[in-house]
Amino acid sequence: MKSLRSFMLFGSVLLAWELAARSGWWNPLLFPSLAKIADEFIRFVAGADGLHETWVSLYRALGGFALAAVVGVVIGILMGRSALAAALLDPAFSGTYAVPKLALFPIFIFVFGIGSLSKVALVFLECLYPIVIITCQGARNVSPVLIWSAQNMGASRVRIFGRVVVPATVPYIFAGLRVALPVAMIVVIITEMISSADGLGYRVIYALASLQTDRMLAVVLAIALLGYVLDRALVALRGRLVYWEKLDTFYV
Amino acid sequence: MTIARVGLLIAVLAIWQIFWIRGLPDYALGPVEILRHFIAALGTRELYGHIVASLLRALPGFAIGSALGIALGLAAGTARWFDQMLSPAVFTTYPVPKIVMLPLFMLWFGIGDVSKILIIALACFYPTFINAYYGAKGTPRILVWSGLNMGAGKWRIFGRVVVPSALPLVFAGLRVSLALSFIVMFATEMINARSGLGFLIQEAENSLRFDLMYVSLLTIATLGYAGDQLLQLCRRRALAWQETGA
Repeated sequence: MKSLRSFMLFGSVLLAWELAARSGWWNPLLFPSLAKIADEFIRFVAGADGLHETWVSLYRALGGFALAAVVGVVIGILMGRSALAAALLDPAFSGTYAVPKLALFPIFIFVFGIGSLSKVALVFLECLYPIVIITCQGARNVSPVLIWSAQNMGASRVRIFGRVVVPATVPYIFAGLRVALPVAMIVVIITEMISSADGLGYRVIYALASLQTDRMLAVVLAIALLGYVLDRALVALRGRLVYWEKLDTFYV
Repeated sequence: MTIARVGLLIAVLAIWQIFWIRGLPDYALGPVEILRHFIAALGTRELYGHIVASLLRALPGFAIGSALGIALGLAAGTARWFDQMLSPAVFTTYPVPKIVMLPLFMLWFGIGDVSKILIIALACFYPTFINAYYGAKGTPRILVWSGLNMGAGKWRIFGRVVVPSALPLVFAGLRVSLALSFIVMFATEMINARSGLGFLIQEAENSLRFDLMYVSLLTIATLGYAGDQLLQLCRRRALAWQETGA
């Protein structure tokens, strides 16, 4: 019953789409039939071209994301464990949190060029915020009782950091990564739509400009699948690494 | 502490200004220059036109998307059949970048403001839905039971127990989606628009008007910051009974 209900919404949307496509009321440009989209999708995914575009978008997204993960976790733990670092860095992060970093993109193009580097830099910047903020929250929430017991048993500061602080923060780090990963995808697609000559976002705009709606929707489908698969992969990785904590990673 | 912070800010700006005086590439302006251009632009009528155009896209989108997100999220968090029907669809499509729907929306609703507002609403829907959902689900059972025990009806419990206890997370969701509405607004305007701050920055970039680029950047930064502060103020008002900030 449960799976039936969850399927109902998807099923009825697809059915409505196909009916709209077949009814002939609308131009097929507005509602291309599902069969045509699937056809284009298979052609896009099977062809070397599609794989190349996917690879380009993927390495931009994951490159910026990985950089942000490394830098963000270090800054976040630092801000969570040191009052001085928090006092100096917290205003910088909370003051610019609500500012759309995308507005920096034109400047990034001048600084880093129109290729991948400006996109990776923007992905890095946008992903940094959620990772830093949630990691910091986690590092601050490490139970003092755990630290006191470790101190009591004669553990050194380095040992306490490695054996108590980091493991206690890891669930939060993953929560931050899970928020940041879709952001990385969004930023890559947007920047590729705005100015690029390759990547999935560019393909969408290109197909739209040549009025090939079915191909455009095939690429949209590929992007959607990619976002979903990346999220699932991160959740699986977290399940492996953070087996001791069953924290819901959507919100801490 | 405040003195240290202000000192750091001034130090960063001073170093930037010194670097600028010693010669930076054309595209990097010094803080004093940026401020001068910004003040000059504030005196013109053009900038306000772009600000109004942008806000008329971002705010309706934010209002529609988050109102729907909160309503459906609270509903899915309380009613099981609704949860089973809606939540899988929302959670599966959550990691998908919603901006890819923009070209399709442009075909359906035209290249004007409607497609932009709808895409902003779509983007704002997700964070508010998920937060309201978890907020409603996280209502302490004991409170609901005590309400039932004292003879409160279903709707009364929803309004007096579930909604207040979900409110902190609802505000957390609103904060995310307000920031998101500005990002998506900016993106849609950079992709295609004839007005708005995103259009202004794109045009400035194409004509190498670096001063305009920074004016637009500073304007959007100020708007984003002001909107966030306003929302935080509302949150403090609405959650006055809650002692610690969420």
